[in-house]
Amino acid sequence: MNSNLKNQPSKDGSVAKKDIVILDLIAKDHPGSFEMLIEKYGNLVWSIGKKFLGNQSDLEDAVQEVLIAIWKSAGKFDPSKASEITFVSMIARRRFIDYLRKITKHKSEDSMDDDNNNIHLYKESLLNQETDLALVKSAIDELDEDDQELLNLSVYQGYSHSEISDILNIPLGTVKTRIRRNLMKLKDTFATNKIQSNVIQLNNG
Amino acid sequence: MDRTQEKLNNLLDLLAMRSCQPLSYTEELELNHLLDEFPEYTPDYFEPIAALADSTMFVHDPKNLSSMPESIQKKIIKNFRSQNAESKTLQIFKNIFQTPKLAWAMTCLLAIGTSMSMIEFRNYETNYRNLPVKKALLEITSEDLIEYNWFAQTDEFCDCSGNVMWSDDSQRGFITLAGLPMNDSSKNQYQIWIVDPNMHANPVDGGVFDIVTTESPTIIPINPKLPIGKAKGFAITLEQTGGVVISEQPLILTAPKERPESTYGISQTTI
Repeated sequence: MNSNLKNQPSKDGSVAKKDIVILDLIAKDHPGSFEMLIEKYGNLVWSIGKKFLGNQSDLEDAVQEVLIAIWKSAGKFDPSKASEITFVSMIARRRFIDYLRKITKHKSEDSMDDDNNNIHLYKESLLNQETDLALVKSAIDELDEDDQELLNLSVYQGYSHSEISDILNIPLGTVKTRIRRNLMKLKDTFATNKIQSNVIQLNNG
Repeated sequence: MDRTQEKLNNLLDLLAMRSCQPLSYTEELELNHLLDEFPEYTPDYFEPIAALADSTMFVHDPKNLSSMPESIQKKIIKNFRSQNAESKTLQIFKNIFQTPKLAWAMTCLLAIGTSMSMIEFRNYETNYRNLPVKKALLEITSEDLIEYNWFAQTDEFCDCSGNVMWSDDSQRGFITLAGLPMNDSSKNQYQIWIVDPNMHANPVDGGVFDIVTTESPTIIPINPKLPIGKAKGFAITLEQTGGVVISEQPLILTAPKERPESTYGISQTTI
């Protein structure tokens, strides 16, 4: 896929919304690219941040920092190394984890009122554009149910290893080993699926 | 299980933890130590797959999705626009450098300007003028710019943050710091050290500085007392006023976190 060709702005400066690689546009200083970044990934960043930080005032500041960090890092995005969503969520997770360490606050269980009006569009937008999501979903599905639960608690819900040990009442060492093995397995399966997917794409011209 | 495999498993456990949660100070130290032993692994080894798995879980499970409130979106966009407007000057510089017609003219002006600023740069009194502009200029013009974040070496300074930016070609750089406590300049001063293990047995004095406010991040120019071949790391210590030639004080901040290996076998705890 040549993302550069796909995302050429038209003569009037507008860009077709389908399959937009926002980071390319940001790197090219396209007007309104920050707003497009928020439109496409704002909810994802917000959701990740909410998981890590919970507290609304910290969350607002951190989300703003993360979005600006993504905007500033757009030039480093290399589609041959990672998909756009991986790049965005990787920066977001790393920044939120660092932020969490900085404020040394524990994750809050407080619920927050959400505006869910755009969720459907948001989900569609990401699903349509990111085959990597489907590949990694299939890799997750290949794990045992117990391992999926561990991964869910650790990666998605953001519980620390020692918290998971308490929740599931299993030794900390076992939690560490199983999460490490699951991530290794996920990494390997995803890499294999990715190669197969690329081969299929090449064969289909 | 042999010792090496045990260490590797320990490293992978820590990398898996790092991709999902903040590590404690001890865990960070242990991770850095193990990364030195297994250089084929990077700190972000599991981060791409964890990030992708995270996104997948959000996108495929509608009950987990949260929409950013519109009021916050608007606020972030407003803040971004006002910040962006402040960097217009920087943008003008960038545009000039990207326009071939102006390149020659700007090169001549820059050559004159750089020569003048080199003279000014070595003067302590004028060293602290227009630092954000000088820093931005270095950022734009240097091809070999390296940038590291500061890491506290003790819990006492864990709130410190910032980065160091350096160009070997230009022999200059800047550090940006926030959270470092104010010093009493009549008693002591912070001192910058540049680690260039291939050229200098001991870290090179990069100048002393004071922290006079904790309200906002401070930008400080680096002034190496000896020519630097290839800077591999930076450190900050608190020394007697005026600084020292060789430090015996503990490291406060380092960038990167672990000291680069020295060909001269210098201890890691003191400069």
